[in-house]
Amino acid sequence: MFELQDNTAGASYIFIGSVRNGGRSGNVSEIYYESYSKMAEQKMKEIENEVQIKWKIKKLLAFHRIGNIKVGEASIIIGVSSEHRNEAFEACKYVIDNVKTRVPIWKKEISNESQKWAEGILLEYRKNE
Amino acid sequence: MVLNQNLTSCIQLVDKIKLKLDIRDKDEIKVKLFAILRERVGESEIIITVPAGITVNYLNSEILKKYPQLKSFNNKFVTSVNWNVTAGDTIISSKDEIALLPPVSGG
Repeated sequence: MFELQDNTAGASYIFIGSVRNGGRSGNVSEIYYESYSKMAEQKMKEIENEVQIKWKIKKLLAFHRIGNIKVGEASIIIGVSSEHRNEAFEACKYVIDNVKTRVPIWKKEISNESQKWAEGILLEYRKNE
Repeated sequence: MVLNQNLTSCIQLVDKIKLKLDIRDKDEIKVKLFAILRERVGESEIIITVPAGITVNYLNSEILKKYPQLKSFNNKFVTSVNWNVTAGDTIISSKDEIALLPPVSGG
């Protein structure tokens, strides 16, 4: 919260994505996250730059955890502060939606019975890259 | 005989020029693998020897020949070159950082 503090911001919006028990693998106890870290950091930065252009936000923070994360624990935290609430809502949704479709991170659902990679979304070739 | 000697000298000269200009007939391309692709191959990085100046599509076909366990993933991964998903006709070399990326599922 302290990191989002800005005296000209009237709204701060925080999204926390957590590991849940309810995937395809039955009784999920944890999820293993893997990333292509160099590319993932670059894509996160691109998304952040797009947010700065699209909305008048004051601060933006986005963290994605990697490795084994147990049910109930946070896997991703996104925080946005802006002058008014709508910018923060919209910007935060844009970040999570784009992280899910553009950042090279993979998850494997782990239960007592099995371990399965999530089906996921194929990254798209973007001509402007 | 003189002609053969000239030809040999000529080939040697071309090889020297290639060496000087760092032009190679063969390229060793390192390819990073992630998630299910890494598990299926059992390595996080593979090396594919290919003719110099090949495209992403050519590299992918060579990978599938060398690692037939990945054939069922054909069209279920994309190739990144220097951290961007790239078109199949992009020409690549060993200087590029290349990775095969299965469908992503972050968040």
